[in-house]
Amino acid sequence: MNIASLINALPGAAAQGLIWGIMAIGVYITFRVLDIADLTVDGSLCTGGAVCIMMMQAGYNVWIAMLVATLAGMLTGLATGLFHTFMGIPAILSGILTQLGLYSINLKIMGKSNQAINVDKYDLLVSLRYIKGVAFYKNTILIVAVIIVILIAILYWFFGTELGCSLRATGCNGHMARAQGINTSFNRVLGLMISNGLVALSGALRGQDPGFADINMGRGAIVIGLAAVIIGEAIFGKIFHNFALTLLSVAFGSIIYYLVLQVVIWLGIDTDLLKLLSALVVAVFLAIPYWQGKYFSKPVKKGGSH
Amino acid sequence: MTFDEQNAQGDSNTCSTIINSFVSADVDLILANATAALQAAQAGTDTIPVLGTSITDYATALELDSFDGTVGGNISGTSDLAPLAEQAAMLAELFPDAETVGLLYCSAEANSQYQVDNVQAELESLGYTCTQYSFSDSNDIAAVAQSAADASDVIYVPTDNTAAANTEIIDNICRPAGVPVIAGEEGICEGCGVATLSISYYDIGYISGEMAAQILTGEADISTMPIEYAPNVTKEYNAEICEDLGITVPDDYVAIATEE
Repeated sequence: MNIASLINALPGAAAQGLIWGIMAIGVYITFRVLDIADLTVDGSLCTGGAVCIMMMQAGYNVWIAMLVATLAGMLTGLATGLFHTFMGIPAILSGILTQLGLYSINLKIMGKSNQAINVDKYDLLVSLRYIKGVAFYKNTILIVAVIIVILIAILYWFFGTELGCSLRATGCNGHMARAQGINTSFNRVLGLMISNGLVALSGALRGQDPGFADINMGRGAIVIGLAAVIIGEAIFGKIFHNFALTLLSVAFGSIIYYLVLQVVIWLGIDTDLLKLLSALVVAVFLAIPYWQGKYFSKPVKKGGSH
Repeated sequence: MTFDEQNAQGDSNTCSTIINSFVSADVDLILANATAALQAAQAGTDTIPVLGTSITDYATALELDSFDGTVGGNISGTSDLAPLAEQAAMLAELFPDAETVGLLYCSAEANSQYQVDNVQAELESLGYTCTQYSFSDSNDIAAVAQSAADASDVIYVPTDNTAAANTEIIDNICRPAGVPVIAGEEGICEGCGVATLSISYYDIGYISGEMAAQILTGEADISTMPIEYAPNVTKEYNAEICEDLGITVPDDYVAIATEE
């Protein structure tokens, strides 16, 4: 166990974190903006990876493959949205249903449970191999960082439009938004589609990175996404107030999560316990703002002016 | 020599993190056990020697166009491919009068799909009618196994991790239904099978170790080392289940030692 090997491992961990960061931004849109805990993520991440790998195996360009993967992810969001709004199923259950159904769909997309894509044969955008010793413009960290900046710019613009504002209003106070003549059902479906499109895009990159898509690749993804959102908010929440910066802090949260994970592995902690550690980290970060409000806030003066 | 042993707990994402730490620690050799670990190792490095083990088919796992027994580059290893043609022949030897064979496996395991497809081709050439029954996880094994048992004369279970972990369920359904199970390996046969033609994982682990030693001492060049397979296979039977079902096996079968 030496510190040099840990430092060597950090760029790779940062790349992993950035790729998950795109998914985390998707999770932020449902979890914070729309106030829905959307569990579609565990399935739509795999859908994105599966579509991307199969398209590339069929000879399509990597960008087209990623675009189609994103659109496929938006369809999964549409399914969850329709379960929720058109069929009146509670949001959390709608996500679980879509996730369950996606297992079969993902299996049919890939034809079997695991499809590989050989880094030596295809022009992959990102790969575990493109971290060190490659030209800087092929470096996975740079490429994913640029993609994230572009995505944040688009999202920042969109949430400033009239439609984007009404979507935020839907999440803040659905009843009030409806009273203002906003179609809240449409907005919820739209938000779920955008979110799962981002998740699938992240899945498309995740499939290229280790060179395969696997039916289990989305398992537990929602926890990583929530961890990134919550860590990002807990650390940068006080400094970043602007919407674009908040999205950026989510991506940072994801990087921090992966750096911590890498340190945990470097420390030699039994990897059997990784999932438990992840769950505990998320629970603690979720509890901190609650405890702050409950035990450390200044008492409110009773009475006050009438 | 120091060993750094990391278990991804069946999580393909953790494989990437672990491979990243191996590559950045610049280890001398990576041993990747099972498909996802090997795929991540291949994506992670083209210089550090990588030995795979428990990989059923290297061409599928690494998406190779042409595979002549040697992967080349920095990758080689051992395969746990069971002798599928011989297993099909064994089924025919024990159950010549059966007509329908159900192939029971987990749809999340690529290796099982590969084995089932190949065994099916072998069995069909022997004149059997085959149906594939796949379950997605341990929750729906019982229902899928029940429909397989209802519709089949014999059931074949490949080397499948989920099936291996749930042999009790399969046994509790197939034995009362009077449907014998031919298993892909010894562990599954011990739990729910009548007979198996099994490789020994100890053997392929031992061979992997010898290959690693040759690479590390510089005796052999990994790029020219062919994939190694299990040297011996044994015909084994489960005495208890055979007795219950009234099946007598030929003399060249060895009873699996039960733990009781």
